[in-house]
Amino acid sequence: MNGRHARSPAARDVPQPSDPELLRRLASGEIGALGELYDRYHAPIRRFVARATADAEDVDDLVHATFLAAATSAAQFDGRASCRPWLIGIAVQHLRRRRRAFGRLLALLASLRGVKSAAVDPRPALQARSDIERALLRVSENQRVAFLMAEVEEMSCAEIAAALQIPIGTVWTRLHAARRELRRALEEGS
Amino acid sequence: MSSATCPRLFEVEAMRDGRLAGAELASFERHIASCAACSREVRELEALAEGLRAESEYRPDELHVRRERTRLLSAFNRVLVAPEVARRPRFLLLLPAATALVAMAFVFSRPRAPEHGVRAPTTVVRADPAAVWSERAEGSGKKLFLERGVLWIQVDHAPGAGRLSVVLPDGELTDNGTTFTVSVENGRTTRVAVEDGSVVLRIRGEPPVTIGQGESWIPTVRAAAPAISSAVVSEPRSLPVASARPPSSPAPSASAPGPDPSSDFRAAMSALGSGSHREAAAAFERFLTTHPRDPRAEDAAYLRIIALQRSGDSGAMKDAALAYLRRYPKGFRHAEAETLSR
Repeated sequence: MNGRHARSPAARDVPQPSDPELLRRLASGEIGALGELYDRYHAPIRRFVARATADAEDVDDLVHATFLAAATSAAQFDGRASCRPWLIGIAVQHLRRRRRAFGRLLALLASLRGVKSAAVDPRPALQARSDIERALLRVSENQRVAFLMAEVEEMSCAEIAAALQIPIGTVWTRLHAARRELRRALEEGS
Repeated sequence: MSSATCPRLFEVEAMRDGRLAGAELASFERHIASCAACSREVRELEALAEGLRAESEYRPDELHVRRERTRLLSAFNRVLVAPEVARRPRFLLLLPAATALVAMAFVFSRPRAPEHGVRAPTTVVRADPAAVWSERAEGSGKKLFLERGVLWIQVDHAPGAGRLSVVLPDGELTDNGTTFTVSVENGRTTRVAVEDGSVVLRIRGEPPVTIGQGESWIPTVRAAAPAISSAVVSEPRSLPVASARPPSSPAPSASAPGPDPSSDFRAAMSALGSGSHREAAAAFERFLTTHPRDPRAEDAAYLRIIALQRSGDSGAMKDAALAYLRRYPKGFRHAEAETLSR
């Protein structure tokens, strides 16, 4: 049915629960709250993860893992008005785990197969990326993640440091390096 | 100012990253209004961000979104129903076979019948999707084995119920009737946070630590830590950090770390943030002397330059910049340090 997901006028009038309320319900095991959380934030989280990863094959899994971790640790949410930075922090933890666990293995497999690192993003959807998004892929993942958190998610450096579990000075250096590299890539591209 | 470059150009980034405050910020904002180079830099940095903040053209199709939503809800349902078989993402399926065998061994050793009317404690366990853990009944008590990841545990000790302990790669945690979270990464316990009740944490080679309600524990970073690791943990926003040692055991063990680099670094940052620039410079210098191999040493060396610059001591600032360049010839802040060393 085409209109299955459309909201009725009455449903539109119902005030949406706040993020803290949603997380409270989720912490009590209400599965519907997870659906609402996903509907509300899957797009920005997906966009963040897709941009943060140069290879996008496991974006779905990372987004899945992020929301599932959010659901299982909802009781730890600190109650701020928007849980988007909190979700981004969880996504970043999964990115770090993924990089640590499989970065070397994938590189080894690629070299054994004689496959070079893809210079062009393999996803057709990403062919439409803007120049700056393409340039962003030339920045190392650590720097790219910090840059996205600061400039797109508009998180403070202190929030980024807490989420990445690194000193704030390291956040500053990563942002600086990311901007320098981005500018260089854009200049070369033009 | 109309020249192509400006000695205050680097402050544009500092302002953007929230490193300028109060009078410094006001002064620099006034400067921008009259400096073509700095105002151009402001616009260029904003343009970098603006391009990414615009909506991406990448749109997953609706069917795919619904499919992923359903997959998520059913995974969460499985976690609720059977938390010990938490689903892991596909990219983790290549974990060593040994881990799977160990996990299977634990799964098949399910809790035994209670003995002599003493019941095992009632526990609710929520695991993060990447957690590797299992549980086993031991006499009247229960043991959880956490190899990796984060567990949120709630224990209800009915009268006569046994004890719950969590076996960690580097120690053991005993519960005293509580709600708590424990995290393990790279074979080390990285955080314990207690919401209710208390727990006793015993890390091998270190004295036991009692962590009470509202407190959390993070490991102390050794000065000789080889690289930035998960042991460099920021304090949680809402919870006070418990003492790393119990008050009743003041004598440190042979393996106890020396001065705490995290608190030294925080103290230096605090001085810098409060505008005590000379004090901050001295604190960063002490940090470099005391913790030369700490992962934050390069940050400290650069921040010392900034602190001296703000204090107005240009001679000392240049010396500090030269010292940075000698120590970190390929450092992140090489370009700025070089400018400031002239």
